[in-house]
Amino acid sequence: MPINQSCEDNTLSDPSKSDLEALQQRIDAQREARRAKTQDEPRSAWSLGMRYGSEFFAGVFVGSALGFIIDLVAGSSPWGLVIGTMFGFASGTLNVVRAAKEINSETSGES
Amino acid sequence: MADTNPIKQFEVHTVEFFGRELHFELFGYDLSFTNSSFFMVLTSVLTIVLFSTAMGRRATIPSRSQSVAEIIYGFVADMLRSTAGSDALRFFPFVFTLFIFILVANMLGMFPYFPAPGWHSFTITSHIIVTAALAMMVWLTVLVYGLFKNGPKFFKLFVPSGVPMYILPFVTLIEIISFISRPISHSVRLFANMLAGHILLKVFAGFIVMLAAPEALGALGYAVGVLPFAMTLALTALEFLVAFLQAYVFAILTCIYLSDALHPGH
Repeated sequence: MPINQSCEDNTLSDPSKSDLEALQQRIDAQREARRAKTQDEPRSAWSLGMRYGSEFFAGVFVGSALGFIIDLVAGSSPWGLVIGTMFGFASGTLNVVRAAKEINSETSGES
Repeated sequence: MADTNPIKQFEVHTVEFFGRELHFELFGYDLSFTNSSFFMVLTSVLTIVLFSTAMGRRATIPSRSQSVAEIIYGFVADMLRSTAGSDALRFFPFVFTLFIFILVANMLGMFPYFPAPGWHSFTITSHIIVTAALAMMVWLTVLVYGLFKNGPKFFKLFVPSGVPMYILPFVTLIEIISFISRPISHSVRLFANMLAGHILLKVFAGFIVMLAAPEALGALGYAVGVLPFAMTLALTALEFLVAFLQAYVFAILTCIYLSDALHPGH
């Protein structure tokens, strides 16, 4: 099969580095395009609200639970609960701010 | 009249096996095989069977089922790589298992009737104990692996840089509370979404049954019943979106938390 062979020789002659690099570049470009597409996932307002709500709830819950445990151990009722709830409030807010930052960076295509 | 109790679907009951209830107790705990266990086993078995049949031929040019499996694989791998970096790919099996388990469990929960014990479907992710177990697994992985890999440097996670000395203790305390609260928000989100969505679906479906009951409104009931039916239809579509979205959110948060274990101090 001389014809077939010559054909192969033409296409595969000298599989040099530049060819491989061009292929790699094409693959990278494809990957980037795919990544950009997968970034904007469907988000419903419901799930967004649920996300913020649960973040805030968890912060307050853990803060007040820790305060309550300190109260039980140290017998300092109700000061542990009061101060713990305040710190829980702060960490809940921190959680919400973090979540908002994550969501914003995801939608704008950063990170 | 049909049963319109919207929360009956969440009942956990022991499975009857050939007319015999399987009771099993260990150290005073009731560890019977329930419909919840049934759906967990079904989820795992279904995933394994579907993936091994899809990937069975390993063709260079993938068949339809094989390309679906490959797309899911690529989707999770991309998610992990873009949120936690390439070195996080060692956690790929963990994240992939979590994602697929939750996704398949949520989708199985979308069946109104199912050839299962009691003939009704059961959403295992609508029980907080299941999602809490999954979230604790992630949290403990982050904690243990973070300490193992970074040693004391892991605690930099709690001490943000560039904070004045006089408020640093407070900020550290807040960061610690925030870290402890992660498994709670992680599990509550999935659980609350599935629970609320399924209750809402059943409440609207219950309206149809109530309106169509012969002793209620007669022909007018049928006419008005179209409204809750349309609502149920729309909510079902929304629930499918939520079922996928929550599996995705759970997996992507797992990736973000794992990235803390790999690179603390960022």
